[in-house]
Amino acid sequence: MAFGKIWVIAFRDLGRNRRRSGLTMLAVALGLALLILMSGLVAGIFDSIIANSIQLNSGHVQVRAESFVFERPSLDWQDLLEDSDELLQRAVNTPGVKAAAPVLWSSGFVDTSNEMFGVSVTGIDPESSFHDPIRENMIAGEYLSIDDRDGVLIGRKLAEELGLGVGSKISLLVGTSDGETDVDIFTVRGVFSTGIVLYDRGVYMPLPKAQAITNVGDRISALILLADDTKMADPIADALRSPGLSLVTWKDMNALILGAMEQGMAFYYLIYAIIILVVAVIIANTLLMSVFERTRELGILAALGLKGHQIMGMVLLEAGTIAILGSIGGILLGLLAVWFLSTNGIPIGDDVASMVESYAYPSVFYAKFVPGVFSAVTLAMLGIVLLAAVYPARYAARLEPVDALHAL
Amino acid sequence: MKIVEVKNVVKTYRIGEIETRALDGIDLNIDEGEFMTLVGPSGSGKTTLLQLIGCLDRPDSGVLKIGGQDVVHLKNGQRADLRREKIGFIFQFFALVPVLNAYENVELPLLLNGVSAKERKERTLDLLEAVGLTHRINHRPDQLSGGEQQRVAVARALAPRPLLVLADEPTANLDTENGIQVMGIMQRLNQETGTAFIFATHDPRVVAYADRVVKLLDGHIVDNNAKG
Repeated sequence: MAFGKIWVIAFRDLGRNRRRSGLTMLAVALGLALLILMSGLVAGIFDSIIANSIQLNSGHVQVRAESFVFERPSLDWQDLLEDSDELLQRAVNTPGVKAAAPVLWSSGFVDTSNEMFGVSVTGIDPESSFHDPIRENMIAGEYLSIDDRDGVLIGRKLAEELGLGVGSKISLLVGTSDGETDVDIFTVRGVFSTGIVLYDRGVYMPLPKAQAITNVGDRISALILLADDTKMADPIADALRSPGLSLVTWKDMNALILGAMEQGMAFYYLIYAIIILVVAVIIANTLLMSVFERTRELGILAALGLKGHQIMGMVLLEAGTIAILGSIGGILLGLLAVWFLSTNGIPIGDDVASMVESYAYPSVFYAKFVPGVFSAVTLAMLGIVLLAAVYPARYAARLEPVDALHAL
Repeated sequence: MKIVEVKNVVKTYRIGEIETRALDGIDLNIDEGEFMTLVGPSGSGKTTLLQLIGCLDRPDSGVLKIGGQDVVHLKNGQRADLRREKIGFIFQFFALVPVLNAYENVELPLLLNGVSAKERKERTLDLLEAVGLTHRINHRPDQLSGGEQQRVAVARALAPRPLLVLADEPTANLDTENGIQVMGIMQRLNQETGTAFIFATHDPRVVAYADRVVKLLDGHIVDNNAKG
């Protein structure tokens, strides 16, 4: 009954000082837009780090010999997988497996005329679709063919650092299974750029050549599997589990990144909290000012028989209106910003990206739409803003009518 | 019939270290339909007495009954109910809600009292007609003159059909012509509706209208019916 008129009073009160109400709504809108943009950007960055790591490095599942230690990749025969063809067949026939790629990891040095440059050397099956990201990101020359006996692909960063290009001859020293080194001359067939400094320093060669130079026969370091869906990683690993094999999923392989992200999120949550708090203080300040200015009016309303809770409701309605209108603006602005950064991205440059070398840090940040997170930050903003309004509202409700009437 | 009963009421204000006894053992009865004024110099306790009768404040001690009901020990919410249903207020400053127009200001107490829409409209328009403001119903307070605002306040005070209307210096901010007009309206409405009016005032023009004049001095009633 009276609620309707209380709402009318609350709403019209907002119109009395349009500039102040508008600026307060703007604060809510900008705060929320910032929250949405930040959470979209963080989600985009984290997602792309994980997705890059899976697509370019870990895959969803890896099959390795039980004794193989990834951190110290050994070329000892006992640490490598035998009968890889049979394993490959089993893997390909396992439900949920999209691609399977046998790889051989070794390390070596590129011998330039004045220095030895340490590189990772990966033997790959160029025909496996797991390597599509490399194939699709060739920036010069050609992709590898499986029977190429002296061709390699190198990453853009390595090419730049060593001044190499398509057709360049490089002398490559590679460790072998018996602890010796072998050296061979290779021709750079092509240069790729994944946009991730970590991978753009690598050397790729066809698996048979890598197996020959490292003297491992037809053994491989691991079979990398790409699943149709991230959720399939565990079922695939379970299906392939057998004695002598170690099956690791993307979660195990990216544990370090995931852990760092979790820590990073704590930091972002802190920033979100600060933004929300600043907006809350602005709201509380605006409402308190408007309550102080209207003290006598509130006294009149109390004299007319308006009860404390009705006066409190009126002030909360004002806060709610500011919060909701501000939030609508903030959501629109935030989504617009996320959309812009999801299509255009923010280039951060190789230098920054390479400072965090151990992560698959992209050199362009893209934002991502995460409706769940956006809803959560919006609700948090609305909730905190209303909470901030409680103090001014209670203050107004507790005014003694006689004191309020005397205020000038 | 007694509608207000004040017995040995004391009210003290404390500002810092200084204690002021605003009302010092007041006894006063007000009957239904009275048109009376409280007179006395500044600080004699007129406004304090009005605030106590209006249930805007509480006495330190003594008995205070409105419509036979003890109001000293009512909770805040119950006092708000009583104000809303039984007491109308007119203040010296034209105390209208600035964001509501004349019609809405008069309608507000009816809304708060849960009066049906149809009756609200009838009573609001009747009252605005009675105070001669039918042509100004859509104007907000800042678009009305002082006299017009005070006439809206009179209409608003009478809207809930209260037992009594309390008016604190209702003509203090009005010129003579408007003051006389407002007093005339109040007198007429007192006679038509039977609602009691109690004024606190310095203004001899207001006193001239009153049926009964109660004189206060230093928190005491020195004359209970100066006119009669």
